[in-house]
Amino acid sequence: MIGEMTPVRGRRMAGRDGFAQLLRAEWAKFWTVRGWVVALALAAVLTAGVTLALANASSSGGLDTVAAGPGGVAVNDSFYFVHRALAGNGSITVRVTSLTDGAFPGLKEGTVAAQPWAKAGIILKDGTQPGSAYAAVMATPGHGVRMQYDFTHDTAGLPGAVSAASPRWLRLVRSGDTVTGYDSADGSHWAMIGSATLTGLPSSVQAGLFAASPWISQNGNEIVTRASARLDDLSLRGGWSAGGWGQCEVGVSYLGGGNGGEGRGCVRVTAEGVRPGSAAESGGTFAVTGTGDISPYVPIVDILGGVFKGSLAGLIALIALGGVFVGSEYRRGLIRTTFTGSPRRVRVVLAKAIVIGAVAFAAGLAGAAIALVIAGPDLRSHGWTSPIYPLVSLGTGTGLRIVAGTAVVLALAAIFAVAVAVVLRRGAGAITVGIALFVGPLLVAAAVGQPAGAFLLRVTPAAAFAVQQGIQHYPQSTAVCLASHGCYPLAPWHGVAVLAIWTVVALAASCYVVRRRDA
Amino acid sequence: MTAAVRAEWIKLRTVSSSGWLLLACAVVTITVSSAVVAVEKCSSASCAVDTTKVSLTGVQVGQAAVAIVAVMVVGGEYATGMIRITLAAVPRRSVMLAAKATATVVVTAVAGTIAVLGSLLAGRIFLPGNGFTVADGFAPLSLGNGPTLRAATGSVLYLVLVALFSLGIAAAVRDAAVAIAIVLGLMYVVRTLSSLVLDPTWQHRVDRVAPMNAGLAIQSTANMSKLPISPWAGLGVLAAWTAAALLAGWLLLQLRDA
Repeated sequence: MIGEMTPVRGRRMAGRDGFAQLLRAEWAKFWTVRGWVVALALAAVLTAGVTLALANASSSGGLDTVAAGPGGVAVNDSFYFVHRALAGNGSITVRVTSLTDGAFPGLKEGTVAAQPWAKAGIILKDGTQPGSAYAAVMATPGHGVRMQYDFTHDTAGLPGAVSAASPRWLRLVRSGDTVTGYDSADGSHWAMIGSATLTGLPSSVQAGLFAASPWISQNGNEIVTRASARLDDLSLRGGWSAGGWGQCEVGVSYLGGGNGGEGRGCVRVTAEGVRPGSAAESGGTFAVTGTGDISPYVPIVDILGGVFKGSLAGLIALIALGGVFVGSEYRRGLIRTTFTGSPRRVRVVLAKAIVIGAVAFAAGLAGAAIALVIAGPDLRSHGWTSPIYPLVSLGTGTGLRIVAGTAVVLALAAIFAVAVAVVLRRGAGAITVGIALFVGPLLVAAAVGQPAGAFLLRVTPAAAFAVQQGIQHYPQSTAVCLASHGCYPLAPWHGVAVLAIWTVVALAASCYVVRRRDA
Repeated sequence: MTAAVRAEWIKLRTVSSSGWLLLACAVVTITVSSAVVAVEKCSSASCAVDTTKVSLTGVQVGQAAVAIVAVMVVGGEYATGMIRITLAAVPRRSVMLAAKATATVVVTAVAGTIAVLGSLLAGRIFLPGNGFTVADGFAPLSLGNGPTLRAATGSVLYLVLVALFSLGIAAAVRDAAVAIAIVLGLMYVVRTLSSLVLDPTWQHRVDRVAPMNAGLAIQSTANMSKLPISPWAGLGVLAAWTAAALLAGWLLLQLRDA
């Protein structure tokens, strides 16, 4: 008898309860409600429109004059250089016995602590023009021995500070386009730190000793600091020029434009009272003092990261869409029909999340791509120019990351709203929670400053805006990081990972509660 | 009209969420204000801190609770279908909207007054201990001081206007979730983005027209010459936003079905 009963689902219905059908059902629910499609279009328009409005309302007001390094990256390249020509292959070895650092009283009053990134050591450079290719091995007060080359590359060597009791031997060896750095604590046991390939390095280069110390900002005043080093036990191998050592300030900028020193090449400054840099030799011991920095130039304002915060408007629209998409089913009782038709509730929640996530991603991608294509040239016409602010287009890695990252952030935010709305069974609650978690941290961080603000931007969903940063940060370049200027404490995709964790936890919670309780 | 207001009052009073939200408004405002004044330090002798404004910081957070209460007064009825019963009982829609507005104004004014007085009291207790002493030219916060009284009454009015603005938006869109997104978006998102506007001219313009930026000018009692908009004019800007929202809500309520 039982075998002859009509099955609940006939043969014709087989395959109609799969996940694909569920997705189709949720998709049909979405696109047949006119208001939701309008909200989606509005999200794309807001993402592009508010971003462009911000770009249009931002003028740079004049940028610092900086040199462009290899590959066009903006760089600081000023130091005191004791140099000599080296033709072809060769090496230089020296011992650093002391490195001290402090403010230069002749230019600015005030005492400052030693700069962790003050540096002195040996350098091999393609001429003396600021921005030219180089490789260097140096001692620093706060980061031990380092090998750095072409501004953006930095490798750690022996740790610890330099003193007469604990000196450091440094060595650079050139062989063709390859420059290799070594260090040693005793002058006999050497370790390789790293090697640099400086493509196109001419046969004849300038090489020798250098010292530099980055300036610091205190209460809005720039304080000139200088590093003084003692170096001895110098030995040279290879085709070094016969003449003696030359010395000069590379990239002097402390004299100001009026004195003709701004961003220029190798200048020998002789005027009294404006000479932070100097060098003298006696009995094989060199005393070298210098100011400036050899590092990537990182501006305080990340203009692209700032204007792309305009996507916050689109994000709110998508959070509202996600919240209402679920909330309206609970409000109208449709959720009971949905769960009757598809009793496996977790799959319903996931289908909703996928549909909303997909449409939010599409809207975010369209809005962010339009914003980038128009805002790039617009920012350039407002004074945000190369090399500090290179034009970021869709063809560059940064541009792709900002556009794709913005779309991912908007999609995750919408999915988060779907999950919270399922937990709360209300759209309004989900929207309030979403706004509090995305906008709240930005407002609070701007109000309280560091370090509490930075903490919030590491752990809340707002951390995800890090993916929109247009300026790359380097550990060897000290720069102020303010969220109100588009800078975030986390690396771009790490910030997105934080948001992804929030979204996954919310989805898990929604799957748990939706199985546990009545609709 | 009296009967309609009484009906709205009963509805507000007997829903547990509105009571909790109004309590939250007062508690959150006072808590945030207290936290801010407790950490506000005056290190140098020349610190130019607007003590009244700092003490009223919590209003920026508490306004969210007020906005949600006001949105739910209208949006909650649309969610449950209660709005049809309400309109059957009070067929004149202007009267219904006015009654809802009246009830909302009364409850938010009471919650706002408690929130503002509590915040100022926190400032009066904490600030002298953090270096804001009479000797340094910081008199203890007092309502007897003209600008402080203006900031306090203005902050209560600000909360009331935010509530009416939310009510108008909710009546216009008939959906609590959408109304909350619009209100909180216009308040907080514009506030966040306006700090990213680097052009001073544009920043000045935004600060003069954005509801939260302009409305909060009423809290300023120091450095008045640097304000983008004068206190009462700023509150006037918020009042204009509120009037526009209420007008839109009223018009749509007249024109279409519930």
